[in-house]
Amino acid sequence: MDWLKGVKASLIGAAAALAIASPGVAADPGLTDTEITIGLFGPLSGPLVGFGLDPVNAARMWYQEANKKGGIHGRKIKLVIEDDKCTANDVVTVVKKLVTVDNVFMLHGGSCTAALTAAQEYINREKVPYSMLNAAGDNAVIPPLKYTFGAFHGTQRVYAAALAGYAIKELKVKRAAIIVHDDDYGNANLATTRAILEAAKVEVVAAERIPANITDVTAPLLKIRAARPDVILSGAYPAPAVLIAQKYGEYGMTSIPLMQAVQGIPTPAVFARNVGNPAALTNFYHGWSFTDVGDEAIKKKYADIYKSHYPDREAGPFMITGLPSAMAVVEALEKAGRNLTRESFVAAMESLDFKPEILAGPLQFGKDRRDGMRSGFVVKYDGKTQKMMPGVYTWNGKDGL
Amino acid sequence: MMSDLLLQAAASGVVTGCVYALVALSLVIVYKSTDVVNFAGGELLMLGGYIGLLALVYFELSYPLMFVVVIVAMYAVGALFERIPLTTVRGQRYSKNAEADLVPLVVATIGLGYLLKGAVRVVPYTEEVRRLPPLLEGAPIFIGDVILLKQDIAIIAVTVVVMIALTGFFGWTRTGKALRATSQNPRAAALIGIPVKSMRMIAWGLAAGLAGIAGILLSPKLLMTPDMGNVVMLAFAAAIIGGFSSLVGCVVGGIILGVLQNFVGILISPQAMAVTPFVVIMLILVLRPQGLFGELAFKKV
Amino acid sequence: MYGELTVRPFVGVLILLALGFVLPLLLPEYFLYLGNTLMMYAILALGLDLLLGWSGQFAFAHIAFFGIGIYTSALLQLRLGVPFIVGVPIAAAFAGLVGLLIAIPATRLRTVYLALATYAFAECAQWIFRAWDSVTKGSDGLRISAPDIFGYVVGTDRRAFPVMAIILALVLLSFLYLTRSKLGRELCAIRDSEHVASASGIDVKRTKVIAFVLSAVFAGLAGGTYTLFQSFVNPDSVGLAQLILVLTMVVVGGSGSIAGVLIGVVLIGLLPEFLRAAPRGLLVWQEFFYGLILVLATMFMPRGLWGLWQSLFARAKPQPAASPAAGARGPAA
Repeated sequence: MDWLKGVKASLIGAAAALAIASPGVAADPGLTDTEITIGLFGPLSGPLVGFGLDPVNAARMWYQEANKKGGIHGRKIKLVIEDDKCTANDVVTVVKKLVTVDNVFMLHGGSCTAALTAAQEYINREKVPYSMLNAAGDNAVIPPLKYTFGAFHGTQRVYAAALAGYAIKELKVKRAAIIVHDDDYGNANLATTRAILEAAKVEVVAAERIPANITDVTAPLLKIRAARPDVILSGAYPAPAVLIAQKYGEYGMTSIPLMQAVQGIPTPAVFARNVGNPAALTNFYHGWSFTDVGDEAIKKKYADIYKSHYPDREAGPFMITGLPSAMAVVEALEKAGRNLTRESFVAAMESLDFKPEILAGPLQFGKDRRDGMRSGFVVKYDGKTQKMMPGVYTWNGKDGL
Repeated sequence: MMSDLLLQAAASGVVTGCVYALVALSLVIVYKSTDVVNFAGGELLMLGGYIGLLALVYFELSYPLMFVVVIVAMYAVGALFERIPLTTVRGQRYSKNAEADLVPLVVATIGLGYLLKGAVRVVPYTEEVRRLPPLLEGAPIFIGDVILLKQDIAIIAVTVVVMIALTGFFGWTRTGKALRATSQNPRAAALIGIPVKSMRMIAWGLAAGLAGIAGILLSPKLLMTPDMGNVVMLAFAAAIIGGFSSLVGCVVGGIILGVLQNFVGILISPQAMAVTPFVVIMLILVLRPQGLFGELAFKKV
Repeated sequence: MYGELTVRPFVGVLILLALGFVLPLLLPEYFLYLGNTLMMYAILALGLDLLLGWSGQFAFAHIAFFGIGIYTSALLQLRLGVPFIVGVPIAAAFAGLVGLLIAIPATRLRTVYLALATYAFAECAQWIFRAWDSVTKGSDGLRISAPDIFGYVVGTDRRAFPVMAIILALVLLSFLYLTRSKLGRELCAIRDSEHVASASGIDVKRTKVIAFVLSAVFAGLAGGTYTLFQSFVNPDSVGLAQLILVLTMVVVGGSGSIAGVLIGVVLIGLLPEFLRAAPRGLLVWQEFFYGLILVLATMFMPRGLWGLWQSLFARAKPQPAASPAAGARGPAA
């Protein structure tokens, strides 16, 4: 029985800890001469499985690649993988299991910010280093908590800053409409977009907050149309994003640029097929922070590695989002050296400053900074080809706080 | 102009409301003939949509053929669910109170909903939002300043046709009359030789088939995810406005709800749209449980 | 007092209390966290069963009262510094008050309408938790501070565990009393037949309202215990999914019996943890299996696992002591 095994393991663990504790140098949990145990988790079932299955696979694949090259300072990475279903209750359960039963050295996981936030207090109390997987993570990393590192491909604030920055600089807009969901992502997005636009003297003529399960976007779109904006900035999720683009096309609003944050357009081709009407995408932009858009070679390279690890599974759109965090963890483990401890790992993460080839900008943390990546760019998409637009936009760390 | 805004919102609300109405019809048929509130109605719709997608995209069937496939498949699912689980549940003696015995039946439909959702979710193809190609495509149509899609017109037409067909079926056909007799008094119906078990199966089959049609019409409009069945709450609201027993009431209720939701979105806030159907359900059940124009909702006390 | 009261339930409560103090010394926090969660669900499920199994009212508002309990006790503590020991009773009473307001119109409605009206209320409550963000912090979620009980700072699962055990023990004792009281008798009479009940002089409407309010109070109390061992709440934690989970516990374990509900809580509550050991390919089937379990349970176990167990092994015994329902049901058992 798993239950009993867990109890037994922890008793043995406790006894072992006592035995080692005497001569001063106690190794941190999950660390031996030959192994580092990492607890990896994400939604592997439930409604949000699409956000987590491939990213968890991608992170696992990156650790296996590191092991193939001989491990990190002589240690191989051992993974304990758990399903958090993207619910707060399951995240807390899984985190407590990994920390107190599997005795992992560190935690790596999570695709949904709201659920992850529930475990932050515990993680930081137990002083377990924690790296998020692919959650945007605004509420979990702002304000910063010592043991929590996140936003490896940008927070909502970063996505919002890229779209608003481009609208101001390249589209020279004077009147903007914003449409977001009435949840934590939407709040962060709206606050940031508004702050940046208003600082540049752009008038926010409409700001609509819509429910995530909205079935008819007529009302918000009509209100936006009546406000006559020069640009529409949308932070909607995949299904509402399609509804918005459809209505926007139907109402012949295509002279106004429509800019969609990354979460609404997981696979551009599927998005275009769902919108159905090619005319709706003549003036359409979306945000992104991975260089795979502009660089076919990079795209192919990682898709090929994935294929070699998981021959049975076609890599989904979010696969690549699982990589930056795993890359950062491997980099920090290298940096922390052979005398690895939880504290030295946290210090290594904190001083991290490197740019993976897949990201638009560098991954950096600092004493008071736990959101890793602050750069994004804008892609023009006409339903067939994605064109990376010039300019990388960086969130200044202040707007929308 | 505010009036233009409201007019367009109303037109769009009528179309969305018609889809709610189709689902509501499916719920009311089940309720009228078997006394069960079908919490799996939304998942039946979702399943219908995905079967349609499979038929169109994977088997490359034509649109009319796909309609037939969905209706037949869904009819089978509905009838089977009535025949095997629900009949078994009815055979169990839960309590001495017939009213309380409905609880396990409803719980069984909740189970069916989860089961269907779980089964569809297992297919990796459903991880992304999908859309069924619409019945009619083409440029939007202008009626005055109001814009409607050809698909929208098709939805209204199908709803009207289905409503008339069902009214005819229940009013004039033998089976329809037998179904009504069964729903009003199963024991008396059995005494005069109506096969009550088969009638219940037919009702469930019909209802599931209707949910399938709703799924086909709804999927191009609302997009498909395994969770799209949540729309069933809007259908419940529509049915309750109509008194949960009349077919015309469902359609009028659906349209009222669709328009009301859009007006709330414009006049109050889009955020409040999510809570509109639930406020409607509560208000109507508390203030006027027979619906706005329905017959008395409490049958058989 | 009605029905036989034997020693066995009290022994059970004593064992619970003993475990409450011993287990924190032995087990890692993960197991204690599961234990705390199960004890919270036990209070929630018993409260739901008071309506569903005891008075035959099919109400879905339960999860809303749970949410009211969480938010009220957390906010009282956070904003006004009201201590746990005062805040939780206030939260439970507030849930009861809202329950009363809902019960008066709702108990007029029959099964399906009652189910829909109360479900709509639950959705409205969740929407308010989300939309009223100046108070509840909306979807961003509310961080809950660690409660302090006469200087005993809870904060961790280890320290919350004995407190949870004490609260659950009190709840169980009150249920043992309640189900054998005049009220318990009246509830069962109403469940079995309202006509007969009112003919024998029971005020049906009043009794139903009382059951509804009591059920809301227990849900509010369960919400209060949430703040003992959880440090965060957002509106997603009090939605339909949790309601279905509690409903499944009651139906699978055995509606109308304390022992049955407790069995359901433990089995359904631990099911996902057992599934963790299953191969990853099986994980995605979880929703499917939940649905299947619900359908099969209603098909073949009208009195849940507990009823099944009784009918298979305990038929010969006169009236199993651990099941007050069997006692109250009389010949139906």
